[in-house]
Amino acid sequence: MDDPLSQLPAEALTHLDGLYNLARWLVRDPAEAEDLVQETYLRALKGSHQFQVGTNLRAWLFQILRNTFFTQYRKQGREPEAVDPEVLDTMATRLGAAGPPSGASNGTLSVDLRAALQQLPEDYRAVVLLADVEDFTMTEVADIMGCPVGTVKSRLFRARAILQELLRDYVR
Amino acid sequence: MECCEARDHLAELARNRLEPDLADAVRAHAAGCVGCADALRVEAALHALIRERAPRYAAPPALRARVQAALRKSEVPISSGWRAWLSLHPWMGTGLAGALVALIAVWVGTTWLAADPVARLVSRALDEHVEYAREAMHRPAPNPVDLLATLRSQAGFALGPLFPGDAEVQLISTKTAELRSKPAVALVYRNGPERYATLLLMPGADATIPAEDRLPIESFKPYHRVASGKQVLYWKQNDLACLMVSDLDGPATAALFLKIRKAA
Repeated sequence: MDDPLSQLPAEALTHLDGLYNLARWLVRDPAEAEDLVQETYLRALKGSHQFQVGTNLRAWLFQILRNTFFTQYRKQGREPEAVDPEVLDTMATRLGAAGPPSGASNGTLSVDLRAALQQLPEDYRAVVLLADVEDFTMTEVADIMGCPVGTVKSRLFRARAILQELLRDYVR
Repeated sequence: MECCEARDHLAELARNRLEPDLADAVRAHAAGCVGCADALRVEAALHALIRERAPRYAAPPALRARVQAALRKSEVPISSGWRAWLSLHPWMGTGLAGALVALIAVWVGTTWLAADPVARLVSRALDEHVEYAREAMHRPAPNPVDLLATLRSQAGFALGPLFPGDAEVQLISTKTAELRSKPAVALVYRNGPERYATLLLMPGADATIPAEDRLPIESFKPYHRVASGKQVLYWKQNDLACLMVSDLDGPATAALFLKIRKAA
């Protein structure tokens, strides 16, 4: 299949669950997540001529979803959460001093994991999900997020510090 | 190797993605550095924990059908008959079959929702319950008297006597909500460390409880269904329609129902 237009649909659909999963973690509302994924595919189709056969279609789709998410936030006047590294450093330290939220040790793992991930700033949550759940390399995550690899590693490292405290009952 | 350089590679080392020489160098450093060894252990543990246990959301069938439809529209127009076209795009045979299955699933789902007026209510209540339980997980039990007083002032309709909890069951939180485009309230109870029940109350003068699928609990017979692994009870008391979604097993759900029912 030389024509990217004819190749895109065949493989693109296999990434639907992964894209929807990330969308749900980003926007939380199921209907908004569906809209975000649908818009991602529409944009992918419109821009399919830009996609080079043989390159990473999956990472390209996630990059479109990520960009669409940002665009829609800006359109709605809802800027993504600002990430201040100093605040996050003190957040991890504060959590360490105060212990996990009340009840964390009593919760089910999946519920505690969900709550912990939701507490991360959006940029950090996206990096964690792309690196851990979707198993992208640091370079791929950087491409998707549109930032240097060093920034990805830094965000992952800081996210780890926060998650380690929030999930200390499970990670000793 | 310095600590800062080693930590720069920990994430990739934990995923076995480093070149062998570099991986050996990082491991050698970690073997003699408590801080980096601990950071590597945490990195590997959190990566495995999130990869294997983080909740994953599967795309709904309706979305899959919409995306498939959009992708089909983008395809080369069929000019020489669908058999010839399919022979050129053999994967589309599978795709079309998948789309057909998805469309049937959507049709069956929407038909089921339309034919069963309680189904939509239960579906919405399940979503609310999961969200409320998640929010309540890290919340200490507040004073139930204060909770109920606040809820009564916000509800917009008469609630009647409500179960405030007891030594076994705690009232964790209350919320105002909307169901069937009407005001409703939710009370979230915790019964044990991992078990929650959400009681939804709404004005119920016009509510109809299905006559079938009734579950005898002492002298009461609420409507009963198990949906998504949760116990669901639906009944009327006073002028309220009451719907409870519970993580508890059958007997514990029945016991909680009795406490709620008898409090009224």
